[in-house]
Amino acid sequence: MKLTQQVLDLNWEEVKTKITRFIRDYVEKANANGIVLGLSGGVDSSTAAALSALAIGGSKVLGLMLPEKETYNPLDIKHAKLVAEKFGIKTETIDITSTLEALQKSIPIFDLKDKLSKGNLKARTRMLYLYYYANKLNLIVCGSSDKSEVMIGYFTKWGDAAADIAPLMDLYKTQVRKLARHVGVPDEIVDKPPSPMLWPGQTAEEEIGLKYEILDLVLYGLEHFMKTEQIAEELGLPKDLVEKVKKRWKAMEHKRRLPLTTKLQYRTVGFDFRIPLP
Amino acid sequence: MKQKFKVALAQISCQRGDKKANIQKIEAYTENARQQNADLVIFPELSLTGYVVRDELYELAEPVPGPSTAAIEKIAKQHGVYIVFGMPELSEKAQATLYNTAVLVGPKGFVGKYRKMHLPTHSVFEEKRYFRPGYQTGVFDTELGKIGLIICYDIFFPEVSRLTRLEGAQLIVCISASPAVRRVFFEILTAARAIENTAFLAYVNLVGIENGLQFWGGSRLIGPNGRALSIAKYDEEDLVIGEVDYSDIKPVEAFVPTLRDLRPELFDKIKENAEKL
Repeated sequence: MKLTQQVLDLNWEEVKTKITRFIRDYVEKANANGIVLGLSGGVDSSTAAALSALAIGGSKVLGLMLPEKETYNPLDIKHAKLVAEKFGIKTETIDITSTLEALQKSIPIFDLKDKLSKGNLKARTRMLYLYYYANKLNLIVCGSSDKSEVMIGYFTKWGDAAADIAPLMDLYKTQVRKLARHVGVPDEIVDKPPSPMLWPGQTAEEEIGLKYEILDLVLYGLEHFMKTEQIAEELGLPKDLVEKVKKRWKAMEHKRRLPLTTKLQYRTVGFDFRIPLP
Repeated sequence: MKQKFKVALAQISCQRGDKKANIQKIEAYTENARQQNADLVIFPELSLTGYVVRDELYELAEPVPGPSTAAIEKIAKQHGVYIVFGMPELSEKAQATLYNTAVLVGPKGFVGKYRKMHLPTHSVFEEKRYFRPGYQTGVFDTELGKIGLIICYDIFFPEVSRLTRLEGAQLIVCISASPAVRRVFFEILTAARAIENTAFLAYVNLVGIENGLQFWGGSRLIGPNGRALSIAKYDEEDLVIGEVDYSDIKPVEAFVPTLRDLRPELFDKIKENAEKL
């Protein structure tokens, strides 16, 4: 298999139709009043917001902007507002700095230097706000995780990935960018380097060690059962780098599942029960 | 026996787990099809219950014939029409042994059933988890000629359609629940099965979204030359009528005589090698 950017091409109009139909159908079947989502100003949440608005109308979509002192960036706020305005989405801005400070103060073992644990606390705090609004206003939480992030586990467990639906989860990051342009997300949002905003200066590609254009092709190769040697050769990458991605993909399965239990009875949650969703 | 008649492709979405609601829909579509002079109305795979019902299958499955087939028989009798629909069947001899079954009823009541032979259990499909495969073809004598029944994934295996054709079916009915990514395969295979068997093929697919799967519709009646005689909409409920005229088979069967040229000894070879695959 040739690993070129073309393999990631889809019929974007068809993808848009399928995703908006999926969102609309889910909201209807759940008898929800609409959708709430976190609006960071990044490409994923902007695209999820745009598709939600196209699906059910912007007036039924609430974008929560949840900035905090450490990673505050006026450009992100500007971008989030730009998307909200363009797609007619309602917004609410809540500065979560004081909540984070209170949490930090209340945790006896809190360690300021542990960037990751502290960063994850931010993602999980945002989740608390989203679910409060969802409960209170009978809304569906729409996640914005993409396939690249979910495959390599580049997200916070029970944090940014916590949602009721994740309409972009079968699209690699570079595919989300293409879809974003197709549905009219402004270029300045699509083109900026992605960041989970867990600490200042954090960028996804630097942290992962690969540009998404390459990572997505590695993941596409793995999805299509290609051997790591083949992928490395196709993309001119060192084999151990491809191996590392593959290991990471498998090692992160725990983040994508319900907690594992040990089987004790006939029918077990997580193993046996298969109950359909809407 | 009628040489020429109308077939209605009743491309519906289902209320999952709600047999009563689905029977009502089957009745409404049948009535509509009958007003358009259809003699045969075809509904999708598992149209009695919806396709993705998972563990609920154990509660929803019924013997065939049974209460739900009786309800559909009543509709068929009342409208003087044949109906094909799909449902989870509970073995009469067991309590949790199920089949994915296509049922044919007609103006005089129950005609027959076909239990799906090829149960997809890959990707999003989990049929072998719930169903036992069937072992018999389903070819039934009706006033509309011999009708052969197959179900969805069976169409990937030319043997099943071939067998129904060799048993005399000139109309093969394929009921289906095919989600979007597979559309391209089915569009080719429906035509291929019709051509290679010089038979009419009526394909009826589900629509709607179930558990995140989007069923693509696109139901069609294919003539023996592989040409689509009528096609339903993609992704939306639809009812389209197509005409079967068995006299159209003869010229095609003479033009590309696949039945004349059939080589029975190859089937022994297929068996031999399939066992060693």
